[in-house]
Amino acid sequence: MNIWKEVLGDLQKQIPNSVECELKMMHSKSALTRFANSHIHQNVDEESADVFLTIHKDGKTISRSKNITGIKSSKEFVKEALDSLDESPKDTTWAGLTSKSESYEGFQELHEANPEERANLVRDFVKEGEDMNAAGYCSTYLNNFFIWNTNGLNSSDTSSSAFIDGIFRTDTSAGSSHRGAVNINNLDASQTGKEAAKLAVDSQNPIDIDPGKYEVILGHEAVSTILVFLSVYGLNAKSKIDGMSPILLNENQFDEKINLIDTPEDSESIGFKIDASGAKKYNLEIIKNGVPSTYFHTRRTSKELNMENTHHEFFGVDDYFGGIGTNLNLDKGNVSHSDMISSVKKGIYINEFWYCRVLDPITQVVTGLNRNGSFLIENGKITKPIGRLRFTQSFIKSLSPGNVISVGDKSRYADSEFGEGMLKVPKLHLKEFNFTGGVSG
Amino acid sequence: MFDLLNIAIDSAISSGAKYSDARILVSKSRNIAAKNGEVENFNESEKIGLGIRALVGSSWGFYSTYDLSRESLISSGKKAFEIAKASAVVSGKETPFADVPVVQDEYTTPHEENPFKVSSTEQIDLLVNSTEQMKKLGSSRSSGRLDFWDTEKWFCSSQGHEIFQNIIESGGGISSLSVGDGETQIRSYPQSFGEYRTGGWEVIKSFEFGKHTQRLAEESQRLLVAPQCPEGVMDLILEGSQLALQIHESVGHAIELDRILGWEAAYAGTSHLELDKLNKHRYGSELMNIVADATLPGALATFKYDDEGTPAQRVEIVKEGIWTGVLSGRDSAAIAGVKPGGMVRADGFSRLPMVRMTNVGLLPGESSLEEIIESTDNGIYMETNRSWSIDDLRLNFQFGCEAGWVVKNGKIIDMVKNPTYTGITPEFWGNMDMLANENEWVFWGTPNCGKGQPSQIGHTGHPASPARFKNTRIGVRG
Repeated sequence: MNIWKEVLGDLQKQIPNSVECELKMMHSKSALTRFANSHIHQNVDEESADVFLTIHKDGKTISRSKNITGIKSSKEFVKEALDSLDESPKDTTWAGLTSKSESYEGFQELHEANPEERANLVRDFVKEGEDMNAAGYCSTYLNNFFIWNTNGLNSSDTSSSAFIDGIFRTDTSAGSSHRGAVNINNLDASQTGKEAAKLAVDSQNPIDIDPGKYEVILGHEAVSTILVFLSVYGLNAKSKIDGMSPILLNENQFDEKINLIDTPEDSESIGFKIDASGAKKYNLEIIKNGVPSTYFHTRRTSKELNMENTHHEFFGVDDYFGGIGTNLNLDKGNVSHSDMISSVKKGIYINEFWYCRVLDPITQVVTGLNRNGSFLIENGKITKPIGRLRFTQSFIKSLSPGNVISVGDKSRYADSEFGEGMLKVPKLHLKEFNFTGGVSG
Repeated sequence: MFDLLNIAIDSAISSGAKYSDARILVSKSRNIAAKNGEVENFNESEKIGLGIRALVGSSWGFYSTYDLSRESLISSGKKAFEIAKASAVVSGKETPFADVPVVQDEYTTPHEENPFKVSSTEQIDLLVNSTEQMKKLGSSRSSGRLDFWDTEKWFCSSQGHEIFQNIIESGGGISSLSVGDGETQIRSYPQSFGEYRTGGWEVIKSFEFGKHTQRLAEESQRLLVAPQCPEGVMDLILEGSQLALQIHESVGHAIELDRILGWEAAYAGTSHLELDKLNKHRYGSELMNIVADATLPGALATFKYDDEGTPAQRVEIVKEGIWTGVLSGRDSAAIAGVKPGGMVRADGFSRLPMVRMTNVGLLPGESSLEEIIESTDNGIYMETNRSWSIDDLRLNFQFGCEAGWVVKNGKIIDMVKNPTYTGITPEFWGNMDMLANENEWVFWGTPNCGKGQPSQIGHTGHPASPARFKNTRIGVRG
């Protein structure tokens, strides 16, 4: 931590009293061991250290970022920013700095996992399907974040995470599974491999079925995709400001079985306990019994909409992107996987969606495909594996009142098209889902 | 910088790597975004660092760091080796590596005005004025963005390469969004998400945003009251930027050799193409001639050497509808038995180089767009991408565009909203029966191609002119 104190201290000394200033530093060690064709083929490890400087004065704001090698001297870095401030345009949505009282000390000295630990998990995964072709990754992350501002805020935090994710392929099928945890020691790669291998074996020689409206049971990854689209395009307050959010606060917009909570305070939650403004995050009800109660806010969006800041300023994207929920937990229900299947007269089980894209953000009509394990369900039993289907379906309507038949009784971290470690979800049983194309188009 | 790189490479080789290469990058970016006549974001960033890779047995080990001290460089070389060595726990066949000429050279993107030397005020004003005009003309949300990248890159290999390149890229665009009763409609220029090329400030000036603001504002509002795109099987005419994305998704990714070999199977998917069908498989109609050309002046994916030191080149991919080539790197080419294509690039110093599209484009035909429309009895002309989705074999796709026009008996008669089309790759390309000529051939650029784990964003180019596709399924809705 000493190097950070030193860099932070040097920069702070250069900040004149006449400006509002925020200094952020992100130090990351990330590594990813990647396998394909059942062996490790790419194995990467990265250490980065980036500094973000924001200065505001007389209604104007300037933002600069460099990694610490790019900062030739603290004095020069700050001077460059100050010199550019005059050229900057008016910043009409400036919402100020986080107050000193929000300071949070969460920095911890943690050690990153080593490549042997990741390789061992890959081995455990691959051996669960030795007759098949395995591909995937095991990744580990260790991030330290420090933020200081001229209000006197001094916050820091440390987060660690680890993931195992993979598929098995046969000549005619594939199956996938995924796990995430705060610590690599809590990943069960064998169980993850078993699940993926079973899906691959069971979905061999799929049949084509006609597109149309089907009752569906969605696996963890498929549910995660729906929720991450709602989160990024709907619950993000920036979408509301831009007139593009379909979310209607305090209305029965979703089925009453839908309860979504943001849980940054939980010990098993992945990620920082503070947001990118340095403020402590809190557990927050987002949707209760189908009724949305808030958007994800940043300082700027809460000011613009005159709503309470929920502290969802996100790391790694420009702050004008808006707020994103990073610890979303869809409440699990009480229906087991087998009970879900046995309750379906005719329907489809989908493990994972693929390449989903929004056709219109305000209707949340999304198109995408299924992959890595899809089955036809007839008279309460899985009868046949099925091939690719294209859906074109409003994700909002898929969770609308009356369309959620049941919620699964087991929940886990699921991957999504916007990243891992953000969503912990159960399976969902939906009354209707619109498939608009089959394997032949 | 070459001395620093060789310290790290020597360390990897002396540790036991059979091959190693390394890059030091100084990457500068300037990003400006405006909305409704006001600046929404203005950020400049600079990153400096080293990325080194080492080949041991069947795996690459890669390490990157911001620390360029001698001690760190030696440690980085050792780490790259040790990371690769750890892969032996789950190893495969030894990875071969094709030879390429060992060169010492340098290259700078030809440009007239370095965008970082142009006043940011001038750049900001362009966006503020353009978005203000569209807002005044009734746009619910007018937006614009400009992005500039200046990348200095030093590359060395254990075989003796010493290459310096300075790649300068510029791009941006404007759009008008109109919000109606439960729907939004958008029009963008030059294409959705902006148009990007290698070059300087002159690239942006050539777009002449001011000449397009009125059209964008009017069309986005007109779309709100326009009828829905009809459903059915009919002729489809694609404007150049949409065809560029069609090439990107249904050809560019499918011909990546790392996908074909299964290296991307879990994440990005594989390909419907199999190597034993090279030079035999019919990809499309005889009008279909695709090349991957990293030497096109001004196109977004133009450079002199890739991130393995292989010279940029022009590779034939599809000739008169027959699949003839792939996108390859030194390892994948050696496995497949083809010549290395110089198509391996990394997203910054901290990412492992991987097979990337260069300028994968459709060579122009002989018609004009006017002639294509005049010869169409019943079809839809679609402009500017709005959504895209394709399966993991790059076969089954569905695209949505911002605007469509009904074409009847050789004339455009009506604007329609929410136009979509869907198809299967070889069947779709097999139905291409008219292709516009070089007068309408544009070097479209895609600055946001995602691939790889950890995720990498690639800059790719797709020269294309408008084309017609017979018997296409149009108007899919949810």
